[in-house]
Formats: sequence, structure tokens, C-alpha cells
Amino acid sequence: MKDIKILTNYWGKINPLKIEDYLGVGGYSALKKFIEKMNQQKALGEIKSSSLCGRGGAGFPTGQKWEVVAKNSIKEKYFICNFDESEPGTYKDRMIVENNPHLLLEGIIIAALTIGAKKAYVYINGNYETQKDILENAILEAQKNKFLGEKILGSKYFLEIEIFSGAGAYICGEETALINSIEGNRGEPKIRPPYPTEKGLFGKPTVINNAETVANIPFIIQNGGKKYAAIGSKNSPGTKIFILGGAVKNKGVIEAPTGITIREAIETLGRGLPRGKDFWFAQVGGASGRLATEKELDEKLDYGKNNNIPLGSGTILVVDKSINIYDLLLSWTGFFRRESCGKCIPCREGTFRLNEIIERLADGEISQRDKEAMQDILWTLESTTFCPLGKFAAVATRDAVDKLEILKD
Amino acid sequence: MRNNITVEKILLEFDPVAQNLLLALKKISKNFGYICEKDSQKIAEYFEFPITKIYETASFYDLVETKKPANLEIKVCSGGDCNLGQSTNVIREIENHFRIRVGDKFNPKVRLKKISCLGRCGDGPIVIVNRKVYERVTASSIYKIFAEWI
Repeated sequence: MKDIKILTNYWGKINPLKIEDYLGVGGYSALKKFIEKMNQQKALGEIKSSSLCGRGGAGFPTGQKWEVVAKNSIKEKYFICNFDESEPGTYKDRMIVENNPHLLLEGIIIAALTIGAKKAYVYINGNYETQKDILENAILEAQKNKFLGEKILGSKYFLEIEIFSGAGAYICGEETALINSIEGNRGEPKIRPPYPTEKGLFGKPTVINNAETVANIPFIIQNGGKKYAAIGSKNSPGTKIFILGGAVKNKGVIEAPTGITIREAIETLGRGLPRGKDFWFAQVGGASGRLATEKELDEKLDYGKNNNIPLGSGTILVVDKSINIYDLLLSWTGFFRRESCGKCIPCREGTFRLNEIIERLADGEISQRDKEAMQDILWTLESTTFCPLGKFAAVATRDAVDKLEILKD
Repeated sequence: MRNNITVEKILLEFDPVAQNLLLALKKISKNFGYICEKDSQKIAEYFEFPITKIYETASFYDLVETKKPANLEIKVCSGGDCNLGQSTNVIREIENHFRIRVGDKFNPKVRLKKISCLGRCGDGPIVIVNRKVYERVTASSIYKIFAEWI
């Protein structure tokens, strides 16, 4: 059960630039099954019974999201694959496209057809230029093989996929900001509700799914939702790509079922810490992730609602005791200071001042007043910002204050 | 300029609809290094938007420059992964070498910027010099990189 691979199955064994390789290992058979034996309701049912949830970080049930849009009678709908991926330390989606772009493409096609969209977008991170070329090539090949375009595999379905390249803004991974960005505006988030499932791209119902979520769909359609639901943890089944970084022997991208503990991830997947390094803490979920100290290593990695350590994007950054914590703090706070979009004051000013205080802390010039102000800023970020970015900005610093006691003495 | 590419030629590749604005801005910025006021006037006329809207969109994104870049534009990734790979040492070394500070704009020839993650974690620390990406940079290997440019 532990070695089950859904996404990384054929990595390194097939050529990402050749569709024949993917067809040779049974590729696009899920799409064929969908078109020949299933209808939209049945596919939706399978996704719902699989309890697949979003892999971008929030873990929202994919089936629920799709259902809202699929039930909508408006003809013009959109599907967007969120391939923005700019969380520091996260590069799982990039690896999916580099190794098996057609898996993602097949997922997008099935997803778009299920919700009844005639146009799908792939919002790709602006820095991923080679990956964009791979994906463009994959789309061309799929069109040649009648998996895309008009009359897909001789059926009544029609789909067009367009790649939209972003321009290097972290906030554009947030779905409303992403929509704003495609529409040619500043990538600032919009107030929700209305959710994109009701009024999304160009005011039409839109489903936005993370690339990793989408890549799971061919397996679910092929093998049925129940089989998928049996893998991994109960509340968020399936496998997850973990990205190990920092002080582990085996760095990189590894797929494992959800529900493993942080300790298992570090010891088994990462093969432990290198010789001579002492474990200090692990940050789970990129720059906005929480810090897990030694006693929290037995927390489960899944999208449960009551998890102390949310899984986020699946990044596990292992930090050993030789690391200067101030460098890391500057990295986190500096990141959010740069990436705050400036729409709301708590986030714009809060991230800025937090970074300033951390700079003073790193220089050893922190005053009592700074310490008090820092608590205020952290509270403001956590409670009052417009979109989740502000909350994320406070998470790691809050944990550093509480668990690592950086303000002591 | 280079290969006789003009702003007009680039603009004609795109239909004048809002969803192509960002793509056009990116391409122009990539070809000319930045978007100057004259160019934004042309873009505004082509897309039939007010010039403020062009600047509004252009100024938001990292990959669209609205100010003329320095001769030597150095960007160092400061993400968590690169950070554990000692990117701070690289920054310090560059600061000392050129006698500049991260983020200041006093030196018109050399500018050093911290940037956010590029998704190349695992190959870090990442340094970008004038749009060319270097992987696994260390404090001592930066001189080899600069030799290419100076």
C-alpha cells in the first residue's frame, strides 16, 4: 500500500515530448472510458465518491466545487488549471509537467468536459519557460490525436486549451487574483462571495483546480472513486507529492499516501538527516507553513480540518541547528513583504513592518517597544487581512516566536 | 533595436483584448528590458485603454519592468530552500564586492535585488544576472559569473 504511485508512476520512463510513450503505458484510456462508457453525472459521481480534495493547500473537496459549476445551466463555463506554483520550496507541479505532461492534460480534458466547459486555461508560472514549451508541445500532439479540439474521439464534446503565462506574482495563485490576472488587471484578490464557481472568469462560472489535483483525475476515472478513497488517510484520501528540502539525505520530490506522519516523511522518504546534523524543526507547507518541533513530528500529513500542522502545498523543509534562524526569518518576512499586493492596509503595512522589525532583531538592535509592536502586527495580520496571504505571512513568524522563542532575552 | 523588433510589431501579434494585455506587456519588457513611457502610450492606444491602466497592470508584476534596468542587474533568490543553501553568504559577498546594499538604487551600474522563489528549489542557491539563470552558486563562484559580464 505504501508504494502506490499515481502521479509519479512513469516518471523517467517515458519521454515527455512524445505522446506515443504515454499512449504505450495506457495513457488517455481514462478519457476514452469517460467518452465511451460514462456521462458527466457519472464522472462527477466518481470524483465525489473519491473524496479528492484540492492539493494547492486549502484542501477543498474537488467534487463539491465541480458540482456547483456542473449544475449551473449557463452555457459559457471555464476550467482553469492553477499551475502558478510560486510558494517557496514548492516545485511538484513543475516536476509533473517535466516528466509526464500528458497526465496533466488528460486530467484537464476530463475535468473540463465533466463540468461542461468549452475552454480551459492553464495558468502557468511566468518563470517556467521550458515547462511551457513542453506543455505547448503536448497540447499540439493531443490535438493531432483527436484528444482535443472539435469532436474529441468522435463524440460531441469540444474543448480548447490555452496556456496563459503569468508574470511572477505569488498572489496570483489565489483564485480570484488569478482571474484578475487573466483579465488583464492587477493580480489583486476580489471579495468572496461570489465565489469563482458562480462568477469567475469573465463573470462566468469557473472551476479552478491545482495542477496536482487535476493529475489525479485520470486514475479516479480509470479505477473508480472507491478505489481511490481507500488509499491513504480517510478525510483526504489519495497520494500526495511531498517535496523534501533542507537537511535530509534524499532531497527532492517523492510521492506517498496522505496520512503519513512528519517523522515518517523525514526518516523514510528523506532517509533521515545527514551525519552530524541535529534536527531543530521542520517547516511544512512552504514559506507560509507552520513549524513542527521535535514533539510535533507525529502529526499526520493530510488535509484534516483539525490538524495542528496543515499540509499546505506538501513542502517539508528540514532545518538543523547549524542554521541561522534570523536568515530564515528574513527570508520569510521579506518574501511576504515583496509579494503583498498592496490592496489592504493590514497586509501591506504589516508585512513591511514585520520585516523591518526582524531586520532589527537580526542586527541585535531590537527594543522592548519592537517586541510589543510585533505581537500587535502578528495579531493584525492573523485577524484582519482581506485574503489569506496576510494570515500566511504571520504563521511562520508566530511559530518562531512561540515555539523557538526568538524574542527571549 | 535588436533584430529590428519594434513595439508595434510585437503589439500586432496580439489581438487588442484585455486578456492579452499582460502577455503583450511581458513580451515588450522582455525584448526591450523595460517599458518606457512612450511605449506605454503606444500600448494604450493599441488596446484602447487609458495609459494609467497600462501602468497599473505593468507595475504590479515582477516580470514586467517599468524602470530602466542597470547594466548589471543581479537577482538572488531568498526562498527558504536557497537560504539553507547559504544564499545569504552569496548576497553578503556581492554586497562587499560592489559596495552596494540589497535593494538600494544609488549605483546606476550595478543593482542587487532579492527575489522570490522561481520554483527551481533543489538546484539552489539561484542567482540571475541580466536574465541569465545560474544554479548552485556559492560565495566563491560568483566571480566566475561576473567575469562573463564585466
